[in-house]
Amino acid sequence: MSGWQAPWTAGGRPSWAAGLGTDLRLWWRRSTVRLAATAGLLGAACVAWSAAPPGRGGHAAPVLIVLAACCVAGGLGQLATAALVPPGPGAYPGPLARLGLWGLDWLRRAPWAEGVTLGALALEAFHPARPWHTAVLGVALIAYLLATHLAESAGGPGEAATVLRAQAPVLAAGLGLLVLAAASALLPSAGTGMAGGWLRAAAAVAAVLACALALPI
Amino acid sequence: MPDGPPGPDTSPLPSGPGHESTVTVPLRWNLSRHARRLLTLAVAGLVIALVTRRPEFAGAAAPALLLLAGWRPGRPSHAQVTSGLTAGRIIEGERAAVTASLNGAAEYTAAVVLHPAHEIVPLPAAGQRPGYASGHRVTLPFLVERWGRRRVGTAEIVLRDRWRLAEGRAQIGLPSLECYPRPAIQRTRVVLNRLPQRLGEHSARAPGEGSEFAGVREYVPGDRQRSINWPATTRRGRLQVNTFQAERSQDVVILVDTAWDGDDARHHVVDIALRGAAAAARAYLDARDRVGFITYRYRARWLAPGHGQRHYYRIAEAMLTQDREWTQDPGFSRLPRQALPPGALILVFTPLMDPRLVETLRDLRQRGFGVLIVDVLNGEPSAGRGRAARLAQRIWRMEQQAIRFSLRELGIPVVHWDGEQSLDLSLAPFTRRAMVTRR
Repeated sequence: MSGWQAPWTAGGRPSWAAGLGTDLRLWWRRSTVRLAATAGLLGAACVAWSAAPPGRGGHAAPVLIVLAACCVAGGLGQLATAALVPPGPGAYPGPLARLGLWGLDWLRRAPWAEGVTLGALALEAFHPARPWHTAVLGVALIAYLLATHLAESAGGPGEAATVLRAQAPVLAAGLGLLVLAAASALLPSAGTGMAGGWLRAAAAVAAVLACALALPI
Repeated sequence: MPDGPPGPDTSPLPSGPGHESTVTVPLRWNLSRHARRLLTLAVAGLVIALVTRRPEFAGAAAPALLLLAGWRPGRPSHAQVTSGLTAGRIIEGERAAVTASLNGAAEYTAAVVLHPAHEIVPLPAAGQRPGYASGHRVTLPFLVERWGRRRVGTAEIVLRDRWRLAEGRAQIGLPSLECYPRPAIQRTRVVLNRLPQRLGEHSARAPGEGSEFAGVREYVPGDRQRSINWPATTRRGRLQVNTFQAERSQDVVILVDTAWDGDDARHHVVDIALRGAAAAARAYLDARDRVGFITYRYRARWLAPGHGQRHYYRIAEAMLTQDREWTQDPGFSRLPRQALPPGALILVFTPLMDPRLVETLRDLRQRGFGVLIVDVLNGEPSAGRGRAARLAQRIWRMEQQAIRFSLRELGIPVVHWDGEQSLDLSLAPFTRRAMVTRR
């Protein structure tokens, strides 16, 4: 049994002695903080990108924008509170604390990222066809989902890079398909009627599904 | 949405350092949150592409769909987990750690999440967030905030495949540990003027073979030649010898009143009393005194006086023990001679809130024991608003003053200790010279 040491000290020196600037730098260097900030920025960018300029959604569009923005904020809150440890079964919190714990649990369980994804896609669908704009949104959405996942599950600074390196070939193939689909949407279609549009969309879906099934992973 | 963790493994786990236990735990595999999000993007993209007849949405779904294509069935149903603690006995505020290693799932990335029990505070491992560590062999540091026999909590093992699409979870129970009260600082000791005839380290008034110089007297046959004081002999013309004080040990009985704890969560009276008692026990055992221990919680429980480092741990464990392994007695009047040796110094840590204990202390003084009370009351009952409440608080204060005054009148010194500063400061008036006890 060693001598008692205050919990807030490390190496015999109080943590505050290190200085505020150093603390901030260390805090920022922690990969989970950086990833959480990246995820929040990407989520906000997705919503802003899909919402601008104001489309044809009528009254639904502003509601969707607000909901999607709330989902971005909720996702950020989810990542920020991941490190909070609720009291164990031996604790007896008061009513207010219990309400707070219930809120925290709800914040952690709600599917915020799914909300952002659906909101951004729906807002994009309100606009007239703009293939490259949609392609950029697709790239941003997949980056947002990856950043969110890494922020909530990556243990150390090197883990995120390892995960991304392992998934890089598949991501490259997916982005290639995305470019092809956007490019095909820009090609002048054989017919301007409804059947031509259906045919083109179905062909793109079939191509993506076929690639997914044939991918030698 | 995440799934609730499966129930903890209820297999018995040993406590204590070096006792690592290996258990085979069942893994519950589920779709990960990441996979659900990718599925949302893929399905929504494809559906919007078909509904709006815009192929670029199918393209937006393509990366997610290709990532989902990595899903493969056939995962291990069990994993072997070896877990343990770096220390089974610690002092309040000390750090300990959970060690866990995982066997049989090398192709999966592993993470261990600590779900701490009450008064356990997870600390960040190197570069990771508190209570979380990734790897197949991890160390999760934590801190115990308050003394007691504490369960550390449970550890959740999370396995993830290469594509992060599936998560296998298992939960294991962690061993418990003993957290002893953090001793306060005490370097000086209160010593009685009458000490038993037992060799020790305290200078007694009686002459003896100690190292403390007492005086010079004339030589009588039988005195040692080496104790002759030659300068004094030269001056007086007759042989003079040095005399020394005897060195004796004393019996100390530490009495801790744990009957009343107050309502201040920051300054538990019991915590302060036990920290003071731990400091006193350590200080007297370091001086090779025999130290006994009594706790009073409406009934007395006691440990017979003993000495040595092992006895300190017996006392520390007695502080944690509630009902087991204790000799119980309904009152002090029936405490045997072993618990209260004659001539012992009784050091009492109490808030003096229980009138029965106060009466017992008066009785002990009248029986001739040297009693010294360390008052650990550091607050007042919260007074309500209004004149009656203020009056009640004033009456309460006067009662407390009257109790302390009556004890001092009986020859029982009462010193106040706030639990923060060194105990030496409070005991200073009694550590400078031997404490005189009159029968």
